[in-house]
Amino acid sequence: MAFLEKFESFNRRLSGWFEWMGLAGLLVMMVVTCLDVFGAKLFRHPVLGALDIVVLAQLVAVSFSIACALILGMHVSVEFFVTRLPLRIQALVEMVVSFFCLTFFVLIVWRLSMYGYSLQIGGEVSATIRIPLYPFAYGVAFAAIPVCLVFLANLLKSIDSVVKK
Amino acid sequence: MSPVTAGVVGIGLLLVLFLLRMPVGFAMGFVGVIGFAYLSDPGPALSLLAQDIFEQFSSYPLSVIPMFILMGTFAFASGISQRLYKTAYAWVGQLRGGLTIATVLACAGFAAICGSTAATAATMGKIALPEMRKYKYSDQLSLGAIAAGGNYFVTGQTAPARDKSRIYIKEL
Repeated sequence: MAFLEKFESFNRRLSGWFEWMGLAGLLVMMVVTCLDVFGAKLFRHPVLGALDIVVLAQLVAVSFSIACALILGMHVSVEFFVTRLPLRIQALVEMVVSFFCLTFFVLIVWRLSMYGYSLQIGGEVSATIRIPLYPFAYGVAFAAIPVCLVFLANLLKSIDSVVKK
Repeated sequence: MSPVTAGVVGIGLLLVLFLLRMPVGFAMGFVGVIGFAYLSDPGPALSLLAQDIFEQFSSYPLSVIPMFILMGTFAFASGISQRLYKTAYAWVGQLRGGLTIATVLACAGFAAICGSTAATAATMGKIALPEMRKYKYSDQLSLGAIAAGGNYFVTGQTAPARDKSRIYIKEL
């Protein structure tokens, strides 16, 4: 199925770009933590708002890596039961699970967008250096879009497998 | 349906979703939203979903996990772990299960320093597991040694059980 292959290839590229953003978040966490520790212990001058920066960078690192981790099969799941089932039933199970996960992540995108809007209206900021929180909520919602696309591709693929077999 | 019955049904549904190979974290979130929506109202359940994801992803106590995984990756990529295990193997390799003994001691030392079982599992799993596999140790024994070493000797904070199990399983 040429369309499905193109769709999966697009998902891989998109998730790869998002993974780079997640990696940037992880590096920010590392650099800020190092600067904060060295600054505080050696020069008695910690980085102002290091905690705020670390938690927000962690938010970026985690949320932007979900799609890539999903494609690489890094999310923890229990395999011993489904692998013993016939292939057709496995495809059927994959279809149901992909549908549930797709629904779940569509809800996440929708509600996190609304949550971001509520943070924007309320003018919510971080505790120490007052970084606005709403772009990060929008960012997490945006990062969940490729996850939806990956589950959609899995759903289409499993439907195709069920129909063919 | 009473809240207790709803809870029991929720756990049953969670186990079914686990068996259907749904990723563990997603299954927990999915069942949690359904359960909360059933017991209260869909609106608050969906609001809680967004808020909880935002708060959990930006939880400071959990920031130790990605940092230690990164540290373990650096140790692994730079070859520190290989040299460490060659030394350990030279010292106690002649004993039965010698590398397992070395792994337990290394985990104990690391856990005593950092105080987090989750971080120990993440770091030592990254370092010890590939080396133990190289010496033909079974995954069950290797992961058991890492888990036991980190857990028995930890002195400080402990992570929730779900984080630990997630990390151990991930190393497989």
